[in-house]
Amino acid sequence: MDLVRHLECFVAVAEESHFGRAAARLGMAQPPLSQRIARLERELGVRLFERTSRQVTITEAGTLLLAEARELLARSESFLATARRIRDGETGLLRAALSPDISGETVAALLAAFRRHHAGLELELHELSTAQQLAGFASHDLDVGLIHHPCDVAGLELGPVLRRDLGVLLPRDTAQAGLAEVPLASLTGYDLILFPRDSAPAVYDDLLTACARGGYTPAAVRHGQGASFVRGLVLSAGAVALVPRDTQPAATGERDPDLVWRPLAGAPLAWRHSVAWPKGRGDAAVGAFADAATQALRTTAGARAETTARPLHLRPASEFWL
Amino acid sequence: MSDVAGRLRAAFTDAGVTGWLHAVDIDSGAQVDAGADQPVCTASVHKLCVLVTLHEQAAAGLLDLTEQVECPPAGRTPGPTGLAAMLDPVRLSLRDAAFLMMSVSDNTAADLLLRRVGLDAVNRTTDRLGLTRTRAVHGFGEMLATMREDAGPAGAQALTDPHVITRLRALDPARTNRSTPRDMTRLLGTIWRDEACPPEQGAAVRRILGLQVWPHRLASGFPFDDVHVAGKTGSLPTLRNEVGVVEYPDGGRYAVAVFTRTAHTAATLPAADAVIGTAARIAVDALRAP
Repeated sequence: MDLVRHLECFVAVAEESHFGRAAARLGMAQPPLSQRIARLERELGVRLFERTSRQVTITEAGTLLLAEARELLARSESFLATARRIRDGETGLLRAALSPDISGETVAALLAAFRRHHAGLELELHELSTAQQLAGFASHDLDVGLIHHPCDVAGLELGPVLRRDLGVLLPRDTAQAGLAEVPLASLTGYDLILFPRDSAPAVYDDLLTACARGGYTPAAVRHGQGASFVRGLVLSAGAVALVPRDTQPAATGERDPDLVWRPLAGAPLAWRHSVAWPKGRGDAAVGAFADAATQALRTTAGARAETTARPLHLRPASEFWL
Repeated sequence: MSDVAGRLRAAFTDAGVTGWLHAVDIDSGAQVDAGADQPVCTASVHKLCVLVTLHEQAAAGLLDLTEQVECPPAGRTPGPTGLAAMLDPVRLSLRDAAFLMMSVSDNTAADLLLRRVGLDAVNRTTDRLGLTRTRAVHGFGEMLATMREDAGPAGAQALTDPHVITRLRALDPARTNRSTPRDMTRLLGTIWRDEACPPEQGAAVRRILGLQVWPHRLASGFPFDDVHVAGKTGSLPTLRNEVGVVEYPDGGRYAVAVFTRTAHTAATLPAADAVIGTAARIAVDALRAP
């Protein structure tokens, strides 16, 4: 008996509560599906479903087996993914991605750690935005990636979510440059340089809302991403940028003669990252990448776990209560 | 129509959500389809199926809508509104429980009625009306219990954690109450054409659907005193839905179903609620275009 195929049938019937629908979902006819369920019940010596003329309901015993059946199917898919990876290259290929804002030091640390532990595995690393990575997961072109939150995580598994605190990049001759920590509200009067909204609307809105809550509502938001473009705007256009420290030259000990990076008082703003991969496709290589990326972010970018959980006040329109 | 799909996509993206929509002119059958066959978690939208089943059974003489039921404080399904939030014993009629279930999404009233009509009966009703992709697999209390279990000891607090979101069974259409946008507009069409229930019960269903209190989703897209909006919302962490009917003074009536998932895990996201109205309006305007 092909256990995996029979378990697929079991899970489909359990989820659809209907032989016809389950057969349609599996792309097979109903009689062979019924035979497979009967065969599985015989092999296991357990009755999985109660059948009446009108409907199918899962038995208590079936319910007890369902979670493990799902787990076995997920493991089997991950096993096949590893096999595919080994088959496709002499030693295996992992297709991974990082978002463009990850610093060179983090990339180098990640690659070094990954090679130390998985010398035999080839890592094909791409620079992709979170939206591009999600599309890559969906089209099976990407195995694993380091993404920004918030994003739609449906169908994904995640590594630990880490925060990378944002500070402010401003001209060296401003009053705030003399402070050890800059209060957000003191940036009033400066325009804000931010990445274009359509590349990550949820992250963008989150950042502006947090700025406003902290007392800083920029009169204008100017869009820019490239380091030299942002630098030019900060130097000459009465604007500031909110960036993590590790993307600045000062992080590697160089001194910028014209600009300074300062932390924000109370660390009100952060980018949140985690490694992500499609659900059920997390094998040893994916796990190794996740560990290497998480560790590299911690050591080179000062990324850390969220320490204080904020209170959550659900409002009546939430429609649920736990 | 082709630019309607683009405008819908742009509206959803702009609000930070992934969205699926189906809108139908109830009388002509003209439609707007933006992912109409996507399997979606219904959440509280499934209360509409319970409501129709209740009225179907009333029409068949299986129950009397004015029958009084007791709702003691113990064992109530949790929720922030209606009976679920009340502290003292309540006695009310089946139809008033239905009113609470739909107007404020009362979870206790919903499970009370669901127990009365039976989960299987709800599925028989949706089968009978041709909603082949719609299925209730558990009651509202059971659905909340899976969330409690999946969220772990941190409780509701954990629901803003993306990790927890990825493992909630209540957000997986394969493992919870489910439907598609197209199935839901079909259901609304049958209610408005008196095919789901006879006219007397159909009118009662439509009255209750018009009494929903929430202004922030579907209704927000139609800021006109002379346009009637009736609907039912559904919400879970990252998930915001509403299905309803919009009626114009010239007699035009449109069934609209919008299901969304937010990228953000925060509970309070006004733009994500409002885009349900924005998207519905884009679709209805397209259906009304000369």
